[in-house]
Amino acid sequence: MQVGLKIWRYSAATGDRALREYEIDAPEEATLLDCLDIVKDRHDGTLAYRKSCRMMICGSCGMRMDGAAVLACKTRMYDIAHAGHVPVVSAMGNLPIVKDLVVDMDPFWEKFKSMKPWLQPGYDEPAEGKEYVVSQERMNVIHKEALCINCGCCVSECNAMESSPEFRGPQALAKGMRFVGDPRDGATVERLADYSDEHGIWECTRCYFCNERCPKGVDPRDAIAKLGAEAVKEGIDRDMGAKHAKWFVRSAETTGWLRETELVPKTQGVISSIKEMKFAMRLAVKGKVPLPFPPHVAERVDEARGLHKLVREQGKSGYDGIVQGEHSLARLDHGLEGEGPPAVELGLETKLADGSDR
Amino acid sequence: MDAKHDVLVVGAGCAGMRAAIAAHDAGADVAMISKLHPTRSHSGAAEGGINAALGNTGEDNPEIHAFDTVKGSDYLGDQDSIEIFTREAPGDIYQLEHWGAIFTRNEEGKLAQRPFGAAGSPRTVFAADITGHVLIQVLYEQVVKRDIKVYEEYFAWRLVENDGRCQGVISWDLMDGGLKVVGGKTVILATGGAGRLYRATTNAYACTGDGMALALRLGLPLKDMEFMQFHPTTMYPSGILITEGCRGEGGVLRNATGERFMVRYAPTAKDLASRDVVSRSEQTEIDEGRGVNGSVLLDLTHLGAEKILDRLPGSRELAMVYAGVDPIFEPIPVRPGAHYHMGGVETDSDGLTELTGLYAAGEVACVSVHGANRLGGNSLMETITFGRRAGTAAAEWALANTTVEVPDAVERDAERELKELLGRTSGERPWKIRDELGSSMLDNFGVFREEGKMARQIEIIAGLRERYPGVYVEDKGTVFNSDLTQAIELGYMLDLAATMLQAGIARKESRGAHSRPHDFPTRDDENFLKHSISRWVNGGPELSYKEVRMTRWEPEERKY
Repeated sequence: MQVGLKIWRYSAATGDRALREYEIDAPEEATLLDCLDIVKDRHDGTLAYRKSCRMMICGSCGMRMDGAAVLACKTRMYDIAHAGHVPVVSAMGNLPIVKDLVVDMDPFWEKFKSMKPWLQPGYDEPAEGKEYVVSQERMNVIHKEALCINCGCCVSECNAMESSPEFRGPQALAKGMRFVGDPRDGATVERLADYSDEHGIWECTRCYFCNERCPKGVDPRDAIAKLGAEAVKEGIDRDMGAKHAKWFVRSAETTGWLRETELVPKTQGVISSIKEMKFAMRLAVKGKVPLPFPPHVAERVDEARGLHKLVREQGKSGYDGIVQGEHSLARLDHGLEGEGPPAVELGLETKLADGSDR
Repeated sequence: MDAKHDVLVVGAGCAGMRAAIAAHDAGADVAMISKLHPTRSHSGAAEGGINAALGNTGEDNPEIHAFDTVKGSDYLGDQDSIEIFTREAPGDIYQLEHWGAIFTRNEEGKLAQRPFGAAGSPRTVFAADITGHVLIQVLYEQVVKRDIKVYEEYFAWRLVENDGRCQGVISWDLMDGGLKVVGGKTVILATGGAGRLYRATTNAYACTGDGMALALRLGLPLKDMEFMQFHPTTMYPSGILITEGCRGEGGVLRNATGERFMVRYAPTAKDLASRDVVSRSEQTEIDEGRGVNGSVLLDLTHLGAEKILDRLPGSRELAMVYAGVDPIFEPIPVRPGAHYHMGGVETDSDGLTELTGLYAAGEVACVSVHGANRLGGNSLMETITFGRRAGTAAAEWALANTTVEVPDAVERDAERELKELLGRTSGERPWKIRDELGSSMLDNFGVFREEGKMARQIEIIAGLRERYPGVYVEDKGTVFNSDLTQAIELGYMLDLAATMLQAGIARKESRGAHSRPHDFPTRDDENFLKHSISRWVNGGPELSYKEVRMTRWEPEERKY
């Protein structure tokens, strides 16, 4: 089949940048990576890109296609080519480009290493030097985080990192959750304290781009949410983001409402809130906020309080309480429009903790 | 010299990283050289599992594991090394788990073990079907913890021999360009296999036999080069791997009529017979017209969605993306593909090669624990056990010796060769030679071999080797010049192909993965119970033989 590609060529050494178009003949089953190989072999040997396994496990070939990060080896070109679309291929975002589609991964690995990504054992030595005994169910807490292949697709599209380059980022934080959720690791509290710093958990802007682009179903945003829930549960909440989350929940539990007048000083501190007074007054005049007195409590506030109590009783006030959605690898788009196998009934969270149905 | 270390490990996959960790823990200053970032290494693509006689699932012990391995090797494996291997394996697994490896657990919360090919007892420890990925992650975590230096994206080009010892490696720095000389009191090769010699292979682009070729060119003996394992369940046309674990969890192979044909070929083990047996059975079915578009069918439909999603989610994703098939509902078309090279650089049980200061571990090495055919799950275990042993041995020797020296002559010679290669502005592009090599090897030196085809292949390789000096590199730049490194890799593969064919045509028997059903259909212990030894002499391979080390088990008829 005929495949057209537009590739951004770039050299950090010279600063030269150009969008080049290539027309190639590729087999029907070709992936974007296969097409790049054909370009490099037969048209332009100077094209630079990384590759190795070609089966979605090594993480080498992360790049952008039409502005969104993909694994080149996972991207089948059939539908694109037959639609006559010519995609624009460029290097991943948020990392310095070295040449063409090759980025400098050093900043990525530095952030990874800053998480202290190795097990810090915190359990008694197992009997006879054998394995630590733990149920599969307990290990499933970090099932998704364990899937990460360090490809960089999440980092490429991270909006928080684009505006704050020092943000640790989705990949590093997902790796952090891999250890926080591992029962064998004894440094949970230290990790949560470390990850809750200025450029940690709470700098995430919750845009879900990382979840969208991750080719392995790691769901880094979910991992960050899990870290946040666990940090607040452990009382690690000095960061404004943590305070906001904590008081949001408290407000909802206590009153059945989100009370902004209470939330702002609790999140930002009293001094900072005073600066917001003028704005608060204007809102009050327009009837946008209830007066702080008498206290505004919802009619059926007992229901709200009952729900919160139930969550705590079930031990789900930390990372266990973050609903992870369906089994990540079930969310696969294999291009079968309409027809194809029937949807499979899936979902980890179909039962409540006591065995009854949700 | 740009730098020097006590121990220099070439390759940063499971074997390389395990060796580096062992050397570091033994007190040596160790560094790794790798043409890929460590977690990109092909060890990470391993799927099904890693073998050790833990006894978590039924009765098992290292002796049974050793016998299975010896029988699986078609009696060509060196039994003293095999006994060490199976005895030390359980301890190595527990070490990995203590470091945090995320293995699948059984109902008791202990490490689960699944059945695998030709295993007397289920002993394959696993992590769903992404075991290699889990091992790469835990080893890299331990490397980062120890802050072990990695010369990343350094392409190894020459081994330095000086004063009767290996004293370092000359590499092409892929990111910045230029040759870099790193000295090492000892060097450990952990560069993996050479599946890329074949057009249909489970192997990554990076698996081009670099370490084997470097050792070969230095004059070292390579052992059992003709034995390339064809994995029975790879997808068309790429050869992407579908793990043996699918059959371990109950999947079966069917031909075009829906028959579970392995019942005929291996009445006892059936679909979980040894890999060479299964590959031959599949190839026979296909050759005799009972295939479907040149493949047979791997049927998982009776396993149920829950089991597949729980134990084989990676395989399902691979089948959906690359074969357009959801194995919950449809069988996956599979056929044999080049997968693992039993042959390699000859070493002893401590990874030491013939050259003082040079060690090798993992797929690049041939100890030999796999003989003529490897059991599924034994390769990952080999990388860990022998990676550790080589790292420890190299560190011990390095700490007892002080000098490192790289003569200028070696550096100048490498520079000259580089200048020559980059200097050519016309000629042939490497991909043509690479494609011809890959197709012809698959046709003439695949699952089934015979005299005429092998003779033809020797001619073809000779012709390709004649054309190789005429290839030119289009990219003359210094930054990320993979055009250059790919051209060098092709040179490595051509030399290895010549070596493999010479050993293959001379072995006039069928043993393990070397199958000659038309001219020499049976095993000939009287004449060929011996290892092939290949050396590079005057620009070509030279063949000799060496005894198999037997301790306990005499060769028997091999049936599954």
